[in-house]
Amino acid sequence: MGRLDGKAAVVTGAGRGIGRAIAELLAAEGAAVVVNDVGSEVDGRGAGTSVADEVVAAIRERGGRAVASHESVADYAAAERIVATAVREFGAIDVLVNNAGILRDRMLFNMSEEEWDAVIAVHLKGTFNCTRHAAVQMRQQRRGRIISISSTSGVYGNSGQANYGAAKDGIAGFTRVVSRDLGRYGITVNAVCPGALTRMSQTVPQSARRTRNERGLETGFEERGFPLRNFGPENVAPWVVHLATDAAQNVNGQTFLVMAGLVALLGYPAPVRTIQKDGRWTPEEIATIFPHTLGMDLANPAPPERTR
Amino acid sequence: MGDMLAGRVAVVTGGGRGIGRGVARALAAAGAKVVVNDYGVAVDGRAPSSGPAFDVVAEIERDGGEAVAVADWEGAGRIVDTARSRFGRIDILVTCAGILRDRMVFNMSEEEWDAVLAVHLKGTFACVRHACTHMREQRWGRIITFSSGSGLFGNPGQANYGAAKSAIGGLTKVAARDLGKYGVTVNAICPVAGTRMTVNEEVRRAREVRKERGIQREDRGVAQIEELDPDDVAPMVVFLASEHARGVNGQFFLCFGSTVALVSQPRPVKALYKADGNWTLDELDRLAPTTVLEGLVNPAPPKEA
Repeated sequence: MGRLDGKAAVVTGAGRGIGRAIAELLAAEGAAVVVNDVGSEVDGRGAGTSVADEVVAAIRERGGRAVASHESVADYAAAERIVATAVREFGAIDVLVNNAGILRDRMLFNMSEEEWDAVIAVHLKGTFNCTRHAAVQMRQQRRGRIISISSTSGVYGNSGQANYGAAKDGIAGFTRVVSRDLGRYGITVNAVCPGALTRMSQTVPQSARRTRNERGLETGFEERGFPLRNFGPENVAPWVVHLATDAAQNVNGQTFLVMAGLVALLGYPAPVRTIQKDGRWTPEEIATIFPHTLGMDLANPAPPERTR
Repeated sequence: MGDMLAGRVAVVTGGGRGIGRGVARALAAAGAKVVVNDYGVAVDGRAPSSGPAFDVVAEIERDGGEAVAVADWEGAGRIVDTARSRFGRIDILVTCAGILRDRMVFNMSEEEWDAVLAVHLKGTFACVRHACTHMREQRWGRIITFSSGSGLFGNPGQANYGAAKSAIGGLTKVAARDLGKYGVTVNAICPVAGTRMTVNEEVRRAREVRKERGIQREDRGVAQIEELDPDDVAPMVVFLASEHARGVNGQFFLCFGSTVALVSQPRPVKALYKADGNWTLDELDRLAPTTVLEGLVNPAPPKEA
């Protein structure tokens, strides 16, 4: 008996990497899976049906149930069809994993409008599109699990990823809001910030990582000295699937960091230091007491270069 | 007139009303020349007019101002160009412009999503992108974005607004890292204030519905919003725009009334680790409830059947 026998799942971007590992583990636990992937390059260009079809074949070979979907999550109407595929083929949608994403890294001062738009469209609008349509069905069912892939790129801040970081932190905020919209209908909504070696993470060139290190720029997990072992995408899947099972039925509105054997709960943003006075502050007053209160020991993540 | 920002040139988007108006006037009062940008729309983004921006410009006695639209790429470029052609440079960018279209996510239309994301997120990116090239060249700049507790803490009925405001948060954190070395700082304000956006019949109704249904909203001890003057947000913005705040970069500040609070960033607070990386679901079932999941509260628990 699997933990998800009789359940139906949709995994977007499931043709490769983390999405594929999630789809395969959901299927191994008994879920019928819609394997959605447009089959594009990491930058979103191109399309093909073979990657999704391959994953479906692999799941079926092991006795699981799966169907392929090749539509883009960035298209509102197409997202409705992706959700409808689960309902038509498997009678419901119990689990939605918003995993599809692309990458177009560039320093902010060189980023084009097109690079911004493309990344926001797939990650952020795509997550809204699928969640919006799945939510209608899940609300009627009075059950559902939505797990969206966010990233430390946005939650912590990664240099060179203004588009991706914005989209991914947007997904984290979206998750916190939507968990409150849907919780009372027996639906949970959570986010996972994964770390894994995939086709996507390998596009960040070693030279960029080296440069960031040399300049003392704060960046993502690889550069924070986490040993690069066990970073297979299959190590992200167990926690995502755990969130989809009955064991996590009351876990709602949370964000988790998952990589290489680490599963961590990320705290909510919260006011941690406060200054108050009787009446309105003047800027001069804030300047006087800020260094001794709110600003004490705050580090600049990218200090100015020394002027020659 | 103060002199904290003497000689500086600032752009304030959404500077025609509410918090943005207070910011524009306070920057001018601190000695900055200000471009007041406002599309002059209703809270939902409809019915533009040039009135509010010109009204604020008129209020700022010594300083000139001009109004241009913010939601399109060319508009953002024109706003930054206006600062440079009129006053010779751009030192300070404050992005307050925003609209609201609240709806529970299962009823939200694509148009409601797109409109809110366009003004808040794309509008912020477009202005920051155009301003930062000049700030990088002059090796000095201050960017102050407007995020919100809606996305950081989770406000029901605001999937579009909460996502946009959190995405602005992510943009702020990345921009701080991309631009810091050039002497540019990028910080975010999460304001709470009584404005036409937050004090209206719809908001009052929503509050009652939430209370009725037991849905948590993380108001974090904020007083009744009606009592919070939008002009109270401005002093912290002026401070962040000044030379005094040169080392403050990539931070978030919650501002309401006389309160200014540093907001923490999400960090791991409880963790489980397995050296070989490969968790089984049995292990997670056994360990998670007493470790990473211990004590978590569902912010909107299921209605009893």
